[in-house]
Amino acid sequence: MLKLLKGAVVALTLLWGMPYVYGQKATEIFIPVGQSPGLSGKHTSLGKITAIDVPNRTITVADSSGSYTVKITGRTQIWLDKSKLRSTNQKGAFTDLRKDLLIEVKYEGNQRQDTGSAEWIKAQIIE
Amino acid sequence: MRNSIPIMLGLLTLPACQSPAPPPPGSREALIARGREIFFNETFKGNGRTCGTCHPEENNFTIDPAFIATLPDDDPLFVAEFNPALKENFENPKLMREFGLILENLDGFDDLKNKFVMRGVPHTLALPTSIDSPDGPRTGWSGDGAPGDGSLRSFAIGAVIQHFTRTLNRVPDIDFRLPTDKELDALEAFQLSLGRQQDLTLPLALKGTVPKRGQEIFLDNSLGKCNICHLNAGANASLGGQNLGNANFNTGVEALPDQPADLTDELVPPDDGFGIPGDNTFNVPPLVESADSGPFFHNNSIETIEGAVAFYDGKAFNDSPSGRFLASIDPNGVGIELDATQIVAVAAFLRVLNAMENIRQSIALLEASAQKAFFQQKEAKALLQNALAETIDGITVLSGGGLHPEAVAHLKEARRLTANAINSNFSRSKLARQAIHEQEMARVQLVE
Repeated sequence: MLKLLKGAVVALTLLWGMPYVYGQKATEIFIPVGQSPGLSGKHTSLGKITAIDVPNRTITVADSSGSYTVKITGRTQIWLDKSKLRSTNQKGAFTDLRKDLLIEVKYEGNQRQDTGSAEWIKAQIIE
Repeated sequence: MRNSIPIMLGLLTLPACQSPAPPPPGSREALIARGREIFFNETFKGNGRTCGTCHPEENNFTIDPAFIATLPDDDPLFVAEFNPALKENFENPKLMREFGLILENLDGFDDLKNKFVMRGVPHTLALPTSIDSPDGPRTGWSGDGAPGDGSLRSFAIGAVIQHFTRTLNRVPDIDFRLPTDKELDALEAFQLSLGRQQDLTLPLALKGTVPKRGQEIFLDNSLGKCNICHLNAGANASLGGQNLGNANFNTGVEALPDQPADLTDELVPPDDGFGIPGDNTFNVPPLVESADSGPFFHNNSIETIEGAVAFYDGKAFNDSPSGRFLASIDPNGVGIELDATQIVAVAAFLRVLNAMENIRQSIALLEASAQKAFFQQKEAKALLQNALAETIDGITVLSGGGLHPEAVAHLKEARRLTANAINSNFSRSKLARQAIHEQEMARVQLVE
């Protein structure tokens, strides 16, 4: 019985311990660039797009600490932040990303060095 | 002599006028007080709702059809009924009024007409005991109620965007304003201050025959099996002696036949729970506060605590991944199988736990009100009103299960004294202390 319970603990821990990415994405779309609670300034990067590599689905972003590459995967959500235009934020796509756009990147695994892949990108649209 | 009477009265009442010092700025108490103010009064420039609209203090920080029926038609809860911009795809007034259900666009806002779920409002009591998990905080019915880092602190931002907006455009600084960092800090502190701050340690030395048996069944991992997912009647899971923290499970609630909302002609899409797309799991709520905060489960599908316990004896649960898991670790291959008397016994146990919490809260509120100075009538009476609500809950919870009539009698006397205290300026503290005595007498009936 003890063995069974121990097995069950392992099974349940595996069941619950999956690396869920926490946060209700549904409302995240409406939060402007740089204002995501508990993420912006801690677990996201803010910078301007300096290059776009379409075949490899990567973008190069520059911020005060330098340049870095961000991978856009099939899981990456891209949102267009139109709050400066006093308009509703929208879902976007890789093709909406343009050079010089200010973007905020939330990485999978919270830090840039973890995977380099973006969980979500918010692009600030100002015109 | 005539002139000296007011002076003498003034001298006599002087000690009673000495107010406890307000919490020092920057203290936790000051932060909680600020959070309370925001929670109940701040609309964030939205449609008029506050956090307290759906989490009213006088109704255990939740809403149900009976409470909703007491609200005036212009209450901001009903904003979809009188604000043309929110008439479509913001709420379903019929389901709100009949079943206490709120509309949530948990899987996105790109198809408002068809993509939504209808959920009950979880109370915000005992949060320090119920949101921590090894994977991070779990908030809301599916454990993913908050944007940003998913924390309770961030929860308010998601709530403002979902529920406070003036129009469905949901543009910050037009349709609402987002809470500031300081406001989020205060709201978090206030919410964490509500209700129990720690879990119980079961078993308790209960006095009632049926609740005592209910506790045995609850704790028996080969019979009730309740304690596996609701350790100490809380919101954390435990197996093999390990506390696994707060968890999500697929318990099959969505598979229940004849769910009340589904019996209407209204569109009620299935709720897929945690994540986008969902994994059909939902978060475990604490049970101590359950008996007076129904209806039950994420979709308010069951009205009574007895029905909620009976759910685990049914096909929907036992065919679910959680039910099958329990069966897999049971020597006889059984998930949960209880008979009617056992179901009622477990419910009786939960009713008694709830009543004990009502008494604990009432006493705390009565004591706080008794300490208020003479000129703090407003604050004192607000505390007394909440004590009265808790006392009424205690009476309702016990009476509803035919439990502990002697305790109910003491609680009824406490209710009378508390109501009198509310209406008295000069005997307020004395009446509050008498009410505390009655609450203590009631508690003695429930537990050694």
